[in-house]
Amino acid sequence: MGKAIVITSGKGGVGKTTTSANIGTALALMGKRVCLMDLDIGLRNLDVVLGLDNRIIYDIVDVASGRAKLPQALVKDKRFDDKLYLLPAAQNTDKTALEPDQVKTIVDELKPDYDYVLIDCPAGIEQGFMNAVAGADAAIVVTTPEISAVRDADRVVGLLEQHPLTEAPRLLINRIRRNMMQDGSMMDIDEITHHLGIELLGIIFDDDAVITTSNQGEPIVMQTDNPASQGYRNVARRLEGETVPLMKLEDQEEPGFWHRVSNWFHRG
Amino acid sequence: MQAAVLRGTQNGYDLVLKQSASLDQILVDLKTLLENLKIDPQAQEATKVSLDVLTEDRILTAEERQQIEQLVGQYPRFEIHKIAANVMTIADAVQMKERENVHLLSKVIRNGQEVDMTGDVLFLGTIHEGGKLQTTGNIFSMGNVAGILQAGYPDDESKLVMGNLKTAQQIRIAEQFDIIDPDDLEASAQTVAYVNDLHVLSYGNLNQLKKINPKLYNQIGGI
Repeated sequence: MGKAIVITSGKGGVGKTTTSANIGTALALMGKRVCLMDLDIGLRNLDVVLGLDNRIIYDIVDVASGRAKLPQALVKDKRFDDKLYLLPAAQNTDKTALEPDQVKTIVDELKPDYDYVLIDCPAGIEQGFMNAVAGADAAIVVTTPEISAVRDADRVVGLLEQHPLTEAPRLLINRIRRNMMQDGSMMDIDEITHHLGIELLGIIFDDDAVITTSNQGEPIVMQTDNPASQGYRNVARRLEGETVPLMKLEDQEEPGFWHRVSNWFHRG
Repeated sequence: MQAAVLRGTQNGYDLVLKQSASLDQILVDLKTLLENLKIDPQAQEATKVSLDVLTEDRILTAEERQQIEQLVGQYPRFEIHKIAANVMTIADAVQMKERENVHLLSKVIRNGQEVDMTGDVLFLGTIHEGGKLQTTGNIFSMGNVAGILQAGYPDDESKLVMGNLKTAQQIRIAEQFDIIDPDDLEASAQTVAYVNDLHVLSYGNLNQLKKINPKLYNQIGGI
């Protein structure tokens, strides 16, 4: 029996979809069977980020309304050898086309076949949010080190506490700019975590490659040496129960040979 | 046994409606009783009689009260002063107890959440920006407040808010409110917000409390 995790934030544009795609991909790379569910009905993106937008035949609203069977609507990602599937959102209707009960039925139907069902929640706290949360066992709250995103995350954590899931929500801080956080012009990781009062699941550094890769329909996790990719891989490992230390804010590059040579002269 | 009994007391007359009888029985007996008194020549001379209706361990519904009042109203000599029972509903009792207690609250009130309380609140938790704690009584805050505190809801201006209020967004007492300017308040856990005689929300210190609100001292047993 798999676990259903909703990825939510309250605020839009903090990287819920990117996070869903990348954690899903990272888990699939670790050999887990993952199903990604896009619940952003009317504004679907997850398929685009994964590069699967041209393969959609049926969507979640078709399944909920009985026009299609669940296996017909699932889109298989061929890159991952039967590990990663996507249940796309509908594009021709809006969030009211689904009821929380319908989503829960679909999630319950998916859970026995997959290790993880990742639910990509739409922005906002209206019906779309309620739908996304309905079937979930756990939640990942995504925020960025900005006051507006943290406020909205606080609101969402409050809502999740009112309707508790099986597991307490965990925090993912996205788009961290090392230089800004180091010089104190951005909210600190500890400050955000302490303020929200929930467990920190991971931090993701801001990286230009995240945008370029998602434009190409290929999640950043596929690039092994990228710091953002490393962040998502660490999150996936923590979800699997491993203890992985947080990535350091400081650049970890070893000083090069000539740099060390020049250092000898400086000391003298 | 009579279901409706008239008793004379030092203060006047008690009309006791027996709890063991049904309301229909009471209405019949009451009618008989009032009819008897009407034809009693001795009673004719007396002036208007005010009745304290005692219902023993029975609480009358509004409809039942109306039936009793209507029946007594047919006899101009009698009027109902009050209707009282020995008991009260559990809901009323809880409300009464709530009003008098100091409640301990130690939760996190997040953005968008509103906690509604009755009576005085000793707050030990955290209010995030956009959160609101609202009560009918006083608020004694020992926690971190970055949201809104409302005491004396909806209209009791005698209530106070105490604690470190510097980081709060707003303080409200009854209908008065103040948007906190952190530069104006000192970071003291002894700040007291109150509504002054001019109905303006103002701030004092704990050592001026006796002057600000002497009633609070009566309540807790002081002079």
